[in-house]
Amino acid sequence: MRFFLTSVIKIIPVLFIISFIVFFLVRLTGDPVSLMLPETATDQQREDLRNSMGLNDPVYIQYLNYMADVVRGNFGDSYKYNEPALEIVLERLPASFTLAISSMVVATLIAVPAGIYSAIKRNTFIDVVITGSSVLGKAMPNFWLGIMLILLFAVHISIFPVSGSGTIMHLVLPSITLGTAIAAEMTRLIRSSMLEVLGAEYIRTARSKGLLETVVVNKHALRNALIPVVTIMALQTATLIGGTLITETVFSWPGMGQLLVQAVNARDMAIVQAATFIIAILVILSNLMADLTYRYLDPRIKYDD
Amino acid sequence: MSEPLLEIEDLRVRFRSDEGVVSPVNGVSFQVHEGETVAVVGESGSGKSMTSLSILGLVPAPGEVYDGSIRLQGEDLTKMKRSQMRKLRGNEISMIFQEPMTSLNPVFTIGNQMIEVIRLHQKLDKTESIQQAVTMLDLVGIPEPERVLKQFPHQLSGGMRQRVMIAMALSCNPKLLIADEPTTALDVTIQAQILNLMKELKDELNTGVILITHDLGVVAEVADRVVVMYGGEVVEEATVDEIFNHPVHPYTKGLLASVPKMTGPVEELGAIKGSVPTPSEMPTGCKFHPRCPIATDLCKQVHPQLEETTPQHFKRCFHTEGGVKHDEHERSTIS
Repeated sequence: MRFFLTSVIKIIPVLFIISFIVFFLVRLTGDPVSLMLPETATDQQREDLRNSMGLNDPVYIQYLNYMADVVRGNFGDSYKYNEPALEIVLERLPASFTLAISSMVVATLIAVPAGIYSAIKRNTFIDVVITGSSVLGKAMPNFWLGIMLILLFAVHISIFPVSGSGTIMHLVLPSITLGTAIAAEMTRLIRSSMLEVLGAEYIRTARSKGLLETVVVNKHALRNALIPVVTIMALQTATLIGGTLITETVFSWPGMGQLLVQAVNARDMAIVQAATFIIAILVILSNLMADLTYRYLDPRIKYDD
Repeated sequence: MSEPLLEIEDLRVRFRSDEGVVSPVNGVSFQVHEGETVAVVGESGSGKSMTSLSILGLVPAPGEVYDGSIRLQGEDLTKMKRSQMRKLRGNEISMIFQEPMTSLNPVFTIGNQMIEVIRLHQKLDKTESIQQAVTMLDLVGIPEPERVLKQFPHQLSGGMRQRVMIAMALSCNPKLLIADEPTTALDVTIQAQILNLMKELKDELNTGVILITHDLGVVAEVADRVVVMYGGEVVEEATVDEIFNHPVHPYTKGLLASVPKMTGPVEELGAIKGSVPTPSEMPTGCKFHPRCPIATDLCKQVHPQLEETTPQHFKRCFHTEGGVKHDEHERSTIS
């Protein structure tokens, strides 16, 4: 519990830094007024809008005002939707979450057996096939795989819907698209981690006890092999979110990724700020989750000391 | 003598690789009787660990036992199916490894790892196997066994972990216990405790023990008989008294000369020149000849056979007892 609290406290300075970066990035992209007003607007109109938005204040005043708003959870209103940006972003969060989780499930279902199998069948034909496929899976861009899957399973063979959301069938193709990319990375990790663990002395001990090879591999080896995999996969959360941006756009999945891409195109800065902030928090939380899982998997790590 | 518990005859192990075939074990034969401790000694690379792994059928791939037999109470282990072999492992034959720090799985509790083997080989339910685990931990002198069962390996000291390993190895009352350098990684005081413990348990359970070691102090302490290995073969075999009082093979003499003595004047310790050749570059003739202080042309060309010099004392050497005196040899090996 103390570990959890100190971790949460450690998050605060990170959030400060993120808010700082987000603030300046948005201001580096140019004058928001020229984006918000039509080309025909007069200089007076532009000046009035700048004044009302506080853009004529010194930068540090602007930053303090912005921070005061951020602390209250106010990222400003989206000029496209005319609603508070944070609300719009949070509304989209469950859809992204569903996609991310189901992709992780797909990835795990592929990667765990494939990784284990290629490790125990090292340097055989099957290992070459699995390792080769994972290189291929890593090399295929998400958008390409997504479009190919739509072509094959939605257009030529109409099993799944082309895009959109609503039913579990809508979830299948996006999850496979995103899941295979993660599975590729995960398979290689599990394979190498497994190979290392299988040479360990406690594995020899387990065999000398007369255990079935499946017990040796799936109990004694896997639990140890997963420790580094969990850490590295948690660090991949950023990649996962990057993947949702593309996958959601390809499949018109109404998640935060799609929203963010649209907001960037429309220069809807309030939404970009809010979404960036939420994504940053998600990455931090997933790292925290990884630490907790790590502790569960490896009893040697004690955070409370 | 009664029927031996374990009889290894002309055991040969080979590894095939792209560079060719190497044989770390080349025609090893020896016996172990019930309640007897046989020490297998030799430097690293002499094939002692590979011999013990062969008994359990755990020679790591791509290695294989390709000739000879290992009979446990008359049954040839090398001919057994994998499933039969699994029933023996941890049950009739169990093994204690060198590194107590890494031989237990770090992510499971002691209880989990002990109960696993008990439940596998004995028809006991969960509470009975916990009881059995507690009894075993108690037997090896672990205080508060119930608490230790709930602990993870990293929470115990090296000596305690080795006790756990011994308790685990003995939990199904094996007929044969193979201990591969069980005390090498431990402090000297803990070493003595563990050796005494093994001795007591062996007498109590009448287990046959193969003790693999390069520590002659340990041998003197616990062994009944000694098998000296070099280059994948047995070079001398005798009772522990014979080995220490009348060693005949120059290699055994060299090993003995390299042990510091508690009595007598302090001299420079003896050393055997060079190191054990790898299996791929084994010399012809006597495998020890490049390092042997008394090697002759005959030794370089002809491979000596294991022969009985005095009853129950075997050696693989052309030289006779009177050929070179022990003291002379000792001096000549100082380098």
